[in-house]
Amino acid sequence: MSNQDVDPKLLEILVCPMTKGPLRYDREARELVSEKAKLAYPIRDGIPIMLVDEARKLDD
Amino acid sequence: MNEVAQIFDRNLLRRRRDRAAPNFDDFDFLARRVGELTADCLEDIRRQFPTALELGCRTGQMAEILQGRSGIETLVQSDLSEAMASRAKGGAGGLTIAADEEALPFAEQSFDLVISCLALHWVNDLPGALIQIRRALKPDGLFLAAFMGGATLAELRAALLDAETEMEGGASPRVSPFADVRDGGDLLQRAGFALTVANTESLEVSFPSPAALLADLRGMGETNATIQRRRSFMRKSTLARAMALYQERHGDSGGRITATFEIIFLTGWAPGPGQSQPLAPGSGQVSLTKALSGDGNQGGD
Repeated sequence: MSNQDVDPKLLEILVCPMTKGPLRYDREARELVSEKAKLAYPIRDGIPIMLVDEARKLDD
Repeated sequence: MNEVAQIFDRNLLRRRRDRAAPNFDDFDFLARRVGELTADCLEDIRRQFPTALELGCRTGQMAEILQGRSGIETLVQSDLSEAMASRAKGGAGGLTIAADEEALPFAEQSFDLVISCLALHWVNDLPGALIQIRRALKPDGLFLAAFMGGATLAELRAALLDAETEMEGGASPRVSPFADVRDGGDLLQRAGFALTVANTESLEVSFPSPAALLADLRGMGETNATIQRRRSFMRKSTLARAMALYQERHGDSGGRITATFEIIFLTGWAPGPGQSQPLAPGSGQVSLTKALSGDGNQGGD
């Protein structure tokens, strides 16, 4: 596991802060994707940034 | 959550924390002291907490304090500021995220313990945050929080208020409002916590001068973040007057001043099967009239 990866233990407990719905880990893009909120939360230096203000809006 | 009064500017707070992060080690005395007191509370509770969350981890002071002195196997550190979280990640904790206490990103029943040191006094929707924390706890999980109480920086508050009134004929909030201990216990109960306990401890901290106190607050990222704050800087002459008042009222013979930090410690448990619970209304087996008249013996009929 590289330093950029998110620890599997974290992936088990994280949900979307807006909808509390599940997140999909996009390893390539380094994002945690909330389909329901249409937001992608960035992972920077292995730290999931679970802030709505910092999330990328997904197109429909 | 839109109807909640917005008292604090969370984005401003985040920027302040980001700015404070690189040199936070020089200003972490309060985080460290309160962290140690919180860890002491934890030590008194003879329980293991395999999975724990820390809200408001700053650069990792609490993880360092907890290392080797508690039954915590996995500690998730969280801070509103990415810069703080990024520094904490390199420390003793390991699992680190950036998250807003007002919108927690945790699945229900994830943690045996949630700790929060000096993070909740900047939250607009404290009841909402507490409910989210309770939901993130497993049944019978513990929430342990330390936050600034209403008597915090009373000396500074009075000096600023008096100076501004005297020099400018009016005053605006310069120091953030804090909760008092009774509010804290009530809020926990309303958020669905059981067996809540609240107590306070007053920390007197000595500073070389009032100006040094202000510099330290800035270094901690703890300066006023109320939305109602005046956008303008205080006039130099007013600030000077406030500092003089502070010195006059609270200075010792060597010129040092003291500042009071009132810390409220709150504990509450997520409801769990083993806890003592009040009975549901109407479920009693003995008539109250009978009990009070004296002929109802203890077992009922």
